[in-house]
Amino acid sequence: MAQMNLVQAINDALRVEMKRDERVVVMGEDVGRVGGVFRVTAGLWDEFGDDRVIDTPLSEGGILGTAIGMALYGLVPIPEIQFSDFIFPGYDQIVSELAKMRWRSGGEYAANMVIRTPVGGGIRGGLYHSQSPESLFIHVAGLKVVCPSNPHDAKGLLLASIRDPDPVLFFEPKRIYRAARGEVPEGDYTVDLSKAAVVREASPTKGGDRAVTILAWGAMLYEAISAAEQAAEQGIECEIVDLRTLWPLDLETITNSVKKTGRVVVVHEAPKTCGFGAELVALVNEHCFTSLEAPPVRVTGFDTPFPYTLEMDYLPLAHRILPAILETARF
Amino acid sequence: MHAGPDPTAPPVESAAESRGADGVVDPAFRGALSDAVALYRHMVTLRLVSARMVDLQRSEKIAFHASCLGEEAVIAAATLAARPNDWVFPGVREWGAAIVRGLPIADYMHHAFGTQRDAAKGHSPPDHPPARRHRVAPASGIAGAHVPQAVGAAWAAKIKKDDVATIAIFGEGASSSGDFHNAVNFAGVFKPAVVFVCRNDGRERFASTRERALAYGVASATVDGSDALAVLTVVRAALARAAVGKGATLIEAITHPISAESPALAKVPADAWARGGAELLSLGTDAHADPIARLRRVLEREKLVESGPDEAIAKDVRAAIDAAVADAERAGPPATSTLFDDVYAEVPAHLRAQKESSPWRR
Repeated sequence: MAQMNLVQAINDALRVEMKRDERVVVMGEDVGRVGGVFRVTAGLWDEFGDDRVIDTPLSEGGILGTAIGMALYGLVPIPEIQFSDFIFPGYDQIVSELAKMRWRSGGEYAANMVIRTPVGGGIRGGLYHSQSPESLFIHVAGLKVVCPSNPHDAKGLLLASIRDPDPVLFFEPKRIYRAARGEVPEGDYTVDLSKAAVVREASPTKGGDRAVTILAWGAMLYEAISAAEQAAEQGIECEIVDLRTLWPLDLETITNSVKKTGRVVVVHEAPKTCGFGAELVALVNEHCFTSLEAPPVRVTGFDTPFPYTLEMDYLPLAHRILPAILETARF
Repeated sequence: MHAGPDPTAPPVESAAESRGADGVVDPAFRGALSDAVALYRHMVTLRLVSARMVDLQRSEKIAFHASCLGEEAVIAAATLAARPNDWVFPGVREWGAAIVRGLPIADYMHHAFGTQRDAAKGHSPPDHPPARRHRVAPASGIAGAHVPQAVGAAWAAKIKKDDVATIAIFGEGASSSGDFHNAVNFAGVFKPAVVFVCRNDGRERFASTRERALAYGVASATVDGSDALAVLTVVRAALARAAVGKGATLIEAITHPISAESPALAKVPADAWARGGAELLSLGTDAHADPIARLRRVLEREKLVESGPDEAIAKDVRAAIDAAVADAERAGPPATSTLFDDVYAEVPAHLRAQKESSPWRR
């Protein structure tokens, strides 16, 4: 198996699917000759040509509006939005059109497509290149939302997303585009969109009655792992669930873990209020109330715009997750 | 890659002027005469369906209707211009496109009433009828949102090397939306086979249609939207141009809608509907002849129909509408469970839980 980073794994997935399915078309600002702002689509234009790797005008509404038309016609477009912060000029096409196409036509029409877009902070991008808008899409009925944390999952989840009959928002954590490396199988495989991954298990013997479940995804997964390692040194075991697919949610894996540990910390970069953590905590309360030993805790970005200079203070890094783990464990 | 200013300059068609209401056909439009009877029938259908829908809304049997009274010529002719494999992307007011393409009036009414036989399962309000088998895209409630989608579909056809064009129809209000400008810009750059048909009744303020088309590098034409044969001719010319790879055309059709509150409509006797609805086919004013009456005079002058008041077609259409309304009124709503259909291809666990755990009204 080849060692790849996240960029290479996503690029590989696109290449695999474009070879396998000629309906697949990649489009966006500078995705062709330039290979994309983060080089995720590098080499595809040379291999597949103008008709399937399309440099578009700078208009997210135009990219997404025309991509939906392509999908209605029967192609499988994969538009790239350069930064998820830029998605809002095309938000109406996603919310009013893409998400509702199947429903409003009673199932006659559907727009099968994947919107790829880098997400999150930690790259000194400031307020328009760092945001995490996932909850704004999870809230909209009809969309699926995916956010991988490692190259293996990124390739397999993207291949599964492209083949999924529903529209998928595929958020790529840009802070770990190159930092996350790992073995990636060659050729074709998928990672099930309906399954979260338990990436660190808290065994009853190791964790005792002071284990904590951490729910995380994307770049913050690594901060959760780092915090969990530090907590272990203080005798607190963490079970970490990488959600992978944010919506529809693998609730079973989450509730199984929380019923075991009785404690939960949710970590995400997006602002706290009405962030996805709010929904996760509500679901944990609904489904695990009698198992809970402590109030669920959210460690998140602040309810401010995303800062330029102070981004490492804004992000819910390990130094903020660790105290939350300890407090929850000692509640 | 990106098209700069086109040295060959997109052609601007001269405005297709109509000769007015005397039944004389401009020589430029005589080629459309072979479709004139079909066109007339479609226009009558749209007129009578819309008139009935206005009544149904007033009596609160349906919640909404986007009247097309007075604008039937544009909607029917632009749709009829499409070849069988072409796709039509209507806005809400162009619901008639689906009927012209073959959607039965009965299906339209089941949709309008949101019955258990509504193809949209009661998910959408009236005038968004799904009609995929007729290659009509589902209308959006957002004015102009469908216009870039029409570009995308035509673009997809071009990528697949299919000889398929798309026709987007919309009102002049939608032509101020960002979606419109995205659509025409992309069409100018990628030259898909798309025809934009803008009904302009003059209510919206915007820069000249012709100049906007020029700016984006697409062809344009202005046509008398009350002259059905002119609209049919101009849209077909745009489709022919698109078919040979010359790209998009923005057609502005000048229209004169008949308001549901108009004196012309108010003068129609209350029992006109019961007698067949023929009075509803001549609602013109001194300033603007009714497009249906205008086409009728052409048909008579060209001896394509018997002279005299139209009874047969109107009665026939009215009977279909009456039957459709009666059927829809009887049908009843869809099952509650259909609320959860079609959000996703398969009902996911969280929706299944909501579906199974809610106490229902009935």
